[in-house]
Amino acid sequence: MTFPHHPATASRRPRAPVCRIALLFFLAGLGAAVPRAAGQAEPVLPPPDDLKKLSVDQLLDMVVTSVSKRPEKLLDVASAIQVITGEDISRAGATSIPEALRLASNLEVAQVDSRQWAVTARGFNDLFADKMLVLMDGRSVYTPLYGGVYWDVQDTLLQDIDQIEVISGPGATQWGANAVNGVINITTKSAKDTQGGLLFAGGGTELTEDAGGRYGGTLAPGVYYRVYAKYTDRGNSFDPGGQNANDAWRTGQTGFRVDWEAAGGNVLTFQGDAYDATMGQVGPDNIRANGGNLLGRWSDKLSETSDFRLQVYYDQTHRRIPGTFTQDVDTYDTDFQYHCVLVGTNDIVCGFGYRRQDDDIANFSPAQAFLPPDLGQNLLNAFAQDDIALVPDRWHLIAGSKVEHNDYTGYELEPSERIAWTPDKTQTVWTAISRAVRTPDRADVDLYAPANPPYTIAGGPNVVSEELVAYELGYRIQIDPRLAVSISTFYNDYNDLRSLEPLDPPKPFPVVRSSGLVGQSAGAELTADWRVTGAWRLRAGYTDLRASSEPQPGTPDRSANRSVAHDPNQQFSLHSLWDVTPEWQLDADFRAVGPIGSQSVPGYAELNLRLGWRPVTAWEFSIDGQNLLHREHTEFNTPGTRREIPRSVYVRTSWRF
Amino acid sequence: MPKRFRQLRLAAVCRLAAWCAASALVPVAAAQAPAQTAISAENQLKAVFLFNFAQFIAWPQGAFQSLQSPIIIGVLGDDPFGPYLDRVVQGEKIGNRPLVVRRYLRAEDAAECSILFISRSEAGDFDRVKEKLKGRSLLTVGDFAGFARLGGMVRFVTESGKIRLRINVFAAKAVGLTISSKLLAHATIVATEDN
Repeated sequence: MTFPHHPATASRRPRAPVCRIALLFFLAGLGAAVPRAAGQAEPVLPPPDDLKKLSVDQLLDMVVTSVSKRPEKLLDVASAIQVITGEDISRAGATSIPEALRLASNLEVAQVDSRQWAVTARGFNDLFADKMLVLMDGRSVYTPLYGGVYWDVQDTLLQDIDQIEVISGPGATQWGANAVNGVINITTKSAKDTQGGLLFAGGGTELTEDAGGRYGGTLAPGVYYRVYAKYTDRGNSFDPGGQNANDAWRTGQTGFRVDWEAAGGNVLTFQGDAYDATMGQVGPDNIRANGGNLLGRWSDKLSETSDFRLQVYYDQTHRRIPGTFTQDVDTYDTDFQYHCVLVGTNDIVCGFGYRRQDDDIANFSPAQAFLPPDLGQNLLNAFAQDDIALVPDRWHLIAGSKVEHNDYTGYELEPSERIAWTPDKTQTVWTAISRAVRTPDRADVDLYAPANPPYTIAGGPNVVSEELVAYELGYRIQIDPRLAVSISTFYNDYNDLRSLEPLDPPKPFPVVRSSGLVGQSAGAELTADWRVTGAWRLRAGYTDLRASSEPQPGTPDRSANRSVAHDPNQQFSLHSLWDVTPEWQLDADFRAVGPIGSQSVPGYAELNLRLGWRPVTAWEFSIDGQNLLHREHTEFNTPGTRREIPRSVYVRTSWRF
Repeated sequence: MPKRFRQLRLAAVCRLAAWCAASALVPVAAAQAPAQTAISAENQLKAVFLFNFAQFIAWPQGAFQSLQSPIIIGVLGDDPFGPYLDRVVQGEKIGNRPLVVRRYLRAEDAAECSILFISRSEAGDFDRVKEKLKGRSLLTVGDFAGFARLGGMVRFVTESGKIRLRINVFAAKAVGLTISSKLLAHATIVATEDN
C-alpha cells in the first residue's frame, strides 16, 4: 500500500538543518542544566516510631501511593504528561473543566468571556484552538465543524472525575487526528468508586447558582451504577467600557454509568450523559445548545500478557445560534485496541477505528454559509506501536505509526519514535520525533462568505492537512520521595498552515482558504511537585514558548491573522495545598501570564483562594475567591471584541451519605 | 500606567517568580538528594507491617530453641526495605525475645527465621522456595501477584493507594501458626488453589 503525499509538499521552502540541529543541542544543554519541576510527588509517612504506635486499621488507612498512579506505562514517563487528580480539582475550587485545566501548567488556558475559553498546548491558541484532541471517557469532543471544542457544553460531575491527563506534544500515533499540539484525556471514576450519595449546593457573585447530586449503588454482585444531575447558572462578563456583555448562561446536565466487573478480568461499562444549555448573546435571541451521548466499552484480559478493549459510542449535539446558524452533528464511533507482550521485551499495542459524522447546518446569516449545508464524513484509522526494551529497565525504544483515511485528503501517515533512558528508578531522559497532522475541517473547506454568490471567500477547495514535525527532549527526576521535577523542551516545525489566497490572481477576489503558511515554535515546560510536609504540598509550573508563522515565499497570503499565534511567551503558576488541621484546608492558586503580543492583551497575575472546613466526614463547607487581585481583568481577544472577567466569590456546601 | 511599561513589568514578574521558585528548589534538591536512597512510602509501611506481624502471630512450641531466642525477620532476594526495616525493628522486643533482621539469598538459609518476606525477585522461583521451606513454622509474606493463592501466607496488595492484606489461613495452620483474630478482622481470607 502507498500513501500518496499531498502536492503542497513539493513546493515547501528549503529547510535549514544546521539551524535545527544547533537548536536541538541548545535544548539538550538546557535540559542538562536545569532539571526541574513536574510529575507527582509521593505521599510522605510519619517517622517509623510514630507508625509503630498505630493500630492495624490505622495503618491500613494510610495512603502510600498517589491514588492517580496507574500501572506505570513507560510512554507516560517518556512524554510531557501532567496529571490532574480529582482531589486537585476540588482543592483548586474549580467549578468547570476549563478551570480545572488551569492546573496543568503545560496548557494555555484563557477565559474569553463568561462561557468561552481558548485552550491549547504549545501555541497557536484561539477561541476554537484546532490542534488539540480532547477526550471524555474515550469520547472525542472537538467539533468537526471547526476542529475546536465548545467548552461551554463539556461537563460532568466534577466530584466524579478520576483524573485529567494532559499531554503536551503530538500524540497522533496512538491517539489520532487533531492530537497535534496535545491531548486532554478526561476520565471519570468507575461506578464502583462512587458508591453512596452526594448532594451539593452553592452560589456566589459570578457562579450564581450551582447545585447537584449523585447516587451510586449496586444492581447485582459486581454490577455497580451511579446517576447524577447538576444545574449551573453563571453571570455576565463585561465589555471594556464596563457594560454588561449579556453573556450570562445556565446549563443542566444529567447522566449515568454502570460498571460490571465480571470474572476473569472482564469489565463492561455503559454510560451516557444529556445536557441542555441556554446562553445569552449580543443579538436577537439566546443561544440554545443541547445534546447527549451513549457509550459502551468492553475490556477483557485474555492472559497475563494480553488484553483487548472494544468501545462503541454515539454522540449527538445541537446548537442554535440565532442570526447565524443551527448545527446538528451526529457521531458514531467504534474503536478496538489490542495489547500484548511478546518474548518479554516487546510491549505491543495496536488497533483500528471507524468514525462516521453526519452534520446538518441551517444557514441563517446572509454574511456566511456552510456549503453544502449537510455532509457525512468517514474517518478510518489503524495503528501499531511497539515498546522495545533494548536493555531491560534501562533503554527503551517506542516506535509506531498511525494510518488514517479521511474524505478530504485521503491517507495520512503519523509515525513517531521515542527513546527513553532510565539510568535508575528515579530519573528518565527521553527524546522523540513525531509527525502529526490536523486534517481539514468543515470551516476550512466549506465556509463561504457571503452566503450567496458572488463570494468574497469561496471556501477552501485545495486545502491539505496541516502538518507538524515535532522534536522533543525531556528529563524527569524524583529527587526525593517528596520532590519530583521535570523539564520538557520542544521544537515544532509546521507546514501547510491555513492561509487566504486569491483564487485566480491577479484578480484580488474571491479568495480561498489554502495551505500557504509555515510556522515554528520552541519552548520549555518546567514543573515541580514538592510535598514540603505531610500536610503541605506545593506544585509549580513555568512554561516558556515562542511561536510564529509566516507565508511560504511566493505565497500571496491575505489572511494577516488566520494562523497567527495568540500566545503569551511565558506563564508561571504556583498551587499550594495546605491541611491546616484535619478539619481545615487553605489552598491558594497563583498564576502570572505574559502579554499576548498579536492581540495586544496585557499580561496579568491572578490569585484564587479557597478555605475548606470539614467538621465531620460527611459535611464539607468551602468559600472560594477567584481572580482576587483585580476588580476585573482580560485574558484573550483583540481590543474590540475583548471581555473583562470580574473578581468573584462563591460558597458551597456538600453532604455525603 | 502606560501599557507598554505594564507589559514589561509583568514579563519581569513572571521571570522573577520562576527564578525564585527555581532557586528555592535547587538547594533543597541538592540537600536532600544524597541523604538517603529513597524507600517508597509503600515499602516503608510494609516494613512496619512486618514488625507488627510479630505481635499477632503465635508460633507452635518448639519453633524457638529457648525462651530468649530472637524473632528473626528475614528478607529473601532483592531487599526493597533497605536500612528502613532495621530502623523499625531496632531495640524492639516481644516478651523476652529481641527482634533481628537478616537478609538471605538462598531459601535453604532462610529456614531459621520466624517471619520471611519473599521478594518479587523470587516470584519465578516460588515453587522451589516453598519446597525448601516446607514444614517450617515461619510466616511467609510477599507482595507479588498470586502470592497467597499459590500458598504464601500474607500478601500485601496496594489498592486505590492503600495497602490491603490477603491472608491464606490454611497455609499458616498447616505449619502450626496461629494468626490473631485482630489481624484477620482486617484482612481478606483466601484459600490455596488446590484446597
